[in-house]
Amino acid sequence: MKKNTFFLIVGCIALALLLIFWYSVEIHAPLLIEIAFFVGIALVYLAKRKVTDIINDERDVKITEQATMRTMQVFWVVFCAFSIGAVMEILRVPAFPRQAIGTRPPDILPPRMMGYVQLGLLCLMIFLYVGFRIYYAKKYGDFEIDEE
Amino acid sequence: MRKNTGILRLMKNKIKIFRAMHNLTQEHLAQAIGVNRQTILAIEKEKYIPSLDLAFKISRYFGVNIEEVFIYDEKTPTLMPA
Repeated sequence: MKKNTFFLIVGCIALALLLIFWYSVEIHAPLLIEIAFFVGIALVYLAKRKVTDIINDERDVKITEQATMRTMQVFWVVFCAFSIGAVMEILRVPAFPRQAIGTRPPDILPPRMMGYVQLGLLCLMIFLYVGFRIYYAKKYGDFEIDEE
Repeated sequence: MRKNTGILRLMKNKIKIFRAMHNLTQEHLAQAIGVNRQTILAIEKEKYIPSLDLAFKISRYFGVNIEEVFIYDEKTPTLMPA
């Protein structure tokens, strides 16, 4: 399979996932998009294995390794900080004397916001990875000017 | 913590010279040893140090010893005058 065919397949899968997402929102069935996402990613991995004109050599592997490692080094700290905040929310003990229900202070992280926070963390992870990947690609000579 | 050994290690190579001697393009060499052309360029520019496996592949492709293509240079940095 050619590289361009693979990118076309990835585009089609992304479009299909978007439609399934919209449909699962309409019928309020989150399980549908979750399963579809797993299937979609599995299809992308299967399609990638069939590509013949992408050479993934040791320099590419090294760039990927370094970028992944640095992303994890930064991401786990941010993720841990948010998780500690969420745990503090779970373990919150009412002050004495007991507060009336109406005077309860607002949650720092309401459960409905968790989805947005997770989405934000995912975006952060992607941005970090892309940034580190560009940095290491530059470091290992990806943007060198060819003299030939 | 970064370990300072006091020795500046430099890996140099003569791939470009060997390519010129064999009249090879980067693309041709890359295809022959199964890497991207950008990897050959990065090695030539000393931006990337290849693994032993790749270094052996390159030197064997040119039919020479690894030390004829890759030069491992150890230099102790001298103190600069103030």
